[in-house]
Amino acid sequence: MPRWGMTVDLDRCTGCEACVTACHAENNIPTVGPEEAARGRAMHWIRVERYWEGEFPDVRLKFRPVFCQQCDNAPCEPVCPTYASYHTDDGLNAQVYNRCIGTRYCANACSYNVRFFNFHNPEWDRPLDLQLNPDVSVREVGVMEKCTFCIQRIQAARIEARADDEEGAIEDGALQPACAQSCTANALVFGDLDDPESRASRLSRSPRGGKLLEELGAEPSVTYLQKGDWYESGGG
Amino acid sequence: MDRRQFVKATAITGASASLTACGNPEEQVIRFISDELLPPGLAVTRRSVCPLCPAGCGVEVRVMEGDVEVERDGVRGVVGTGLAKKLEGQPAHPVNRGRLCARGQAAIQVTYHPDRVRQPLRRTGERGSGQFEPVSWEAAIAEVTARLEAVAAAGNPGAVRFLTRPLRSLRGVVISEFLDRLGAPPPVVHDAFGDALLRQANLESFGLGQLPTLDIAASRYVVSFGADILGTWNSPVSQSVGYGDMRQGRPGIRGKFVQVEFRMSQTGANADQWVPARPGTEGFLALGMARAILASGRRSPSDAGRAGTLIEGWADGLEAYAPDAVERETGVPADTVDQLGREFAENPPAVAVIAGAPLAHTNGLFNALAVNALNALVGSVGVAGGVRFTPVPEGFGGLDESGETVEALARSILDAPVGEEPPVQVLLLHDANPVFGAPPAWRVGDALSRVGFVVSFGPFIDETSILSDWILPDHSFLEAFADHAPEAGTVMAAASAARPAMRPLHDTRDTADVLLDVGRRLEFETPMEWETYEDVLRERFDALPPPEGFDSAWIAAQATGVWVGPEAASAGAPPEARPRAYRPPEFDGGADAFPYHFLPYVSQAFLDGSVAHLPWLQELPDVVTTAMWSSWVELNPRTAAELGVGEGDLVEIRSAHGAIQAPAVIFPGIAPDAIAMPLGQGHENFTRYASGRGTNPIRVLGPTVEPETGAWAWAATRVTVTRLEGAGDLIKFGGALREHEDLER
Repeated sequence: MPRWGMTVDLDRCTGCEACVTACHAENNIPTVGPEEAARGRAMHWIRVERYWEGEFPDVRLKFRPVFCQQCDNAPCEPVCPTYASYHTDDGLNAQVYNRCIGTRYCANACSYNVRFFNFHNPEWDRPLDLQLNPDVSVREVGVMEKCTFCIQRIQAARIEARADDEEGAIEDGALQPACAQSCTANALVFGDLDDPESRASRLSRSPRGGKLLEELGAEPSVTYLQKGDWYESGGG
Repeated sequence: MDRRQFVKATAITGASASLTACGNPEEQVIRFISDELLPPGLAVTRRSVCPLCPAGCGVEVRVMEGDVEVERDGVRGVVGTGLAKKLEGQPAHPVNRGRLCARGQAAIQVTYHPDRVRQPLRRTGERGSGQFEPVSWEAAIAEVTARLEAVAAAGNPGAVRFLTRPLRSLRGVVISEFLDRLGAPPPVVHDAFGDALLRQANLESFGLGQLPTLDIAASRYVVSFGADILGTWNSPVSQSVGYGDMRQGRPGIRGKFVQVEFRMSQTGANADQWVPARPGTEGFLALGMARAILASGRRSPSDAGRAGTLIEGWADGLEAYAPDAVERETGVPADTVDQLGREFAENPPAVAVIAGAPLAHTNGLFNALAVNALNALVGSVGVAGGVRFTPVPEGFGGLDESGETVEALARSILDAPVGEEPPVQVLLLHDANPVFGAPPAWRVGDALSRVGFVVSFGPFIDETSILSDWILPDHSFLEAFADHAPEAGTVMAAASAARPAMRPLHDTRDTADVLLDVGRRLEFETPMEWETYEDVLRERFDALPPPEGFDSAWIAAQATGVWVGPEAASAGAPPEARPRAYRPPEFDGGADAFPYHFLPYVSQAFLDGSVAHLPWLQELPDVVTTAMWSSWVELNPRTAAELGVGEGDLVEIRSAHGAIQAPAVIFPGIAPDAIAMPLGQGHENFTRYASGRGTNPIRVLGPTVEPETGAWAWAATRVTVTRLEGAGDLIKFGGALREHEDLER
């Protein structure tokens, strides 16, 4: 059984937000409109956070894509009274929509603010609904939703792999969530962390690597690689 | 069909209403024989080209079967057909290599947009009222043909004009040939924030009048003068792919990236070193770097070849650009100028690029020539890691904005005496929106109102096409043949091609096919040789050498999504040009009356406003401010404090040309004497999602131009800022400014 994880190379990430729109397109995430957005109800399973440092002219701005960290020791899971938030064998914090009764305890418990609540039934102005991905269920009012690492793609790849051979091993790189597939600078890399040879696994062991809010002990499956330093190559 | 029937038909196809339809023959769902048989639940992959910007990223379209509501012979029902579900980059495409940007991901909403024009329309109310009635295609094409015939019969075919946005597709060939047969002048291409000036500079410096291809994956040092290379400019996905590899794609080598700009862009945020130079002085800084390199003896003036000879004082070592002079002019410390020059020379391959605001000044051409000379000095032209030029296949040139401008077109109409027939009697519009996107002083809307007959082919009603008399709506890109020959973004020649990815949802037609149809009816002396647009594609592609394993380049391009050709760009002889001297930039509005530089910028979500109608992009949080569905004005914290302005407070921006209002965003990455504002919002008429939302900064921009090229100097306006009572409509996804250290381990 693989253990899915992601690495985010902050030295590659440009803040272009291709991941954000790609996620909307893949996962049937509703657009809530300006009035609801102003109430803080916009849904983005992945977002790019920005941090300012310093003052003009010595000012820096840094980006960090943040999405569900698929924690091994996830604070969102034990608080759910209906087991709607649960841990899958391949390391995902899954959300079972038809178990969810909307207590929102999980969103309160989450350290990364990546869970989104459906305050309304989602609506699409026709014929925008024709774009909806049939592989992903739309979520009703009262249900919590979040990044799934594109579990529909994981399932499809698993079925495909089993059809090809008994073991059903998914080749490294054959499977990508929508965000990583669109990522213009190749900053997001997805793969099996239990396979020491997978790209994600190798990158997660980089000396530049670290976890977001590691001290909280949630043991995220996402590794952030810090920006590198430039040093002069000394001629050429 | 009236409204009542329509409501009924939509209700019965809804998910919950199928039961009520039982036993009631009036409301039975009619299921027509499927248009296209696809295996249920499985996806097929087709191809297309992203239409939202001129870069031309190759797209893979995930298509699955689904039901669409249709009307057949007056009966409403549903039909099964293939529907596009998701766009991805084509992995083997030489421009985007499997990737797509945020806008490209949202392009699919163009096809399914609820406010697309669904059938031909004829105006019924006053011009600009937005009142239209549906008409048949036969009536629409007959009307356009009759109008063109009348003008031609009167011996005045020159009174027919075609206005389009830039096109890199062979539809440009159809448009040009159509106008040529008719005896009308070439099309007017509108892109107010386009790159005509940079093409002119590259023609003069290098003999190639096209945009550069940045091979930054192989660069060790990249200096960008205002170019939004990772966001919106030129070929952003191609450049971002290269950027990622420039940073972390080569073991042991990490390239350095320097951004020179007065307001920190998304691109600038990624720089190792961010250098604010005063607006319009970027060329002076580039020559300061060149002087430092020459003074160090690492290079001699002749190394720059022709590009150097275009700069006055180049042969003498650029004495006028000593570090202290650069510091006085640009505000960049003398030490920094020397450091940048030294590093640029010592880390080959190094490349400099200039675009955006630095070119939108009265001295924009000089700034561009200065950066070209800097590249040439270190030998970075036409080499790996430097400035490259994409070879464009013969016959695939496209239409760019280097010809007559919309300003000239509008002036010719407005200059005609009142009461007389203006020099333009028929205007054909194709997806250009200058009424929204050109400075008010050009009075494009007034000019269009004086044209006798205006036809729009655009798929949406916007501020310009609402002035048309007839609308003959085009397909969306997924419903039509797609083709594109990139001007930049690949070192190989490339031409993408794809058959339609899905059937048309509405009663629309490919504009190229409509023009060919009208052409046949006009019975030109020499008829156009094509029946359909597919014939055009076949003819032009089959003139290219077929790749290995194929007999025909047209077949190959359809099979693989893109024809890729040999790696060679041939420069022509550059035109005669004299050396230029630096002139300080001149601004619209004096510094005393108007203390702030006003820097509009092409928006990450909306570009120049042409994609503001897509709901995913409206709700996309701006990466720097996290604003959604909004317009805003960026102020330095010190400026805001002086003016007593807080985050979200409403401010007024006033120039010599007008005033606008928008909420303030406190923005640490902008100079205290400048304010900035994204383009794209403030549409009056552009679908339910963009209309009446936010503010259009173009409304206060002056019409100043760069005198040699006539290019609009859109970054050269100065303004005042005043706090108004109350708060503006600022919707943000994120919270207040946070320091990075809070979250670092």
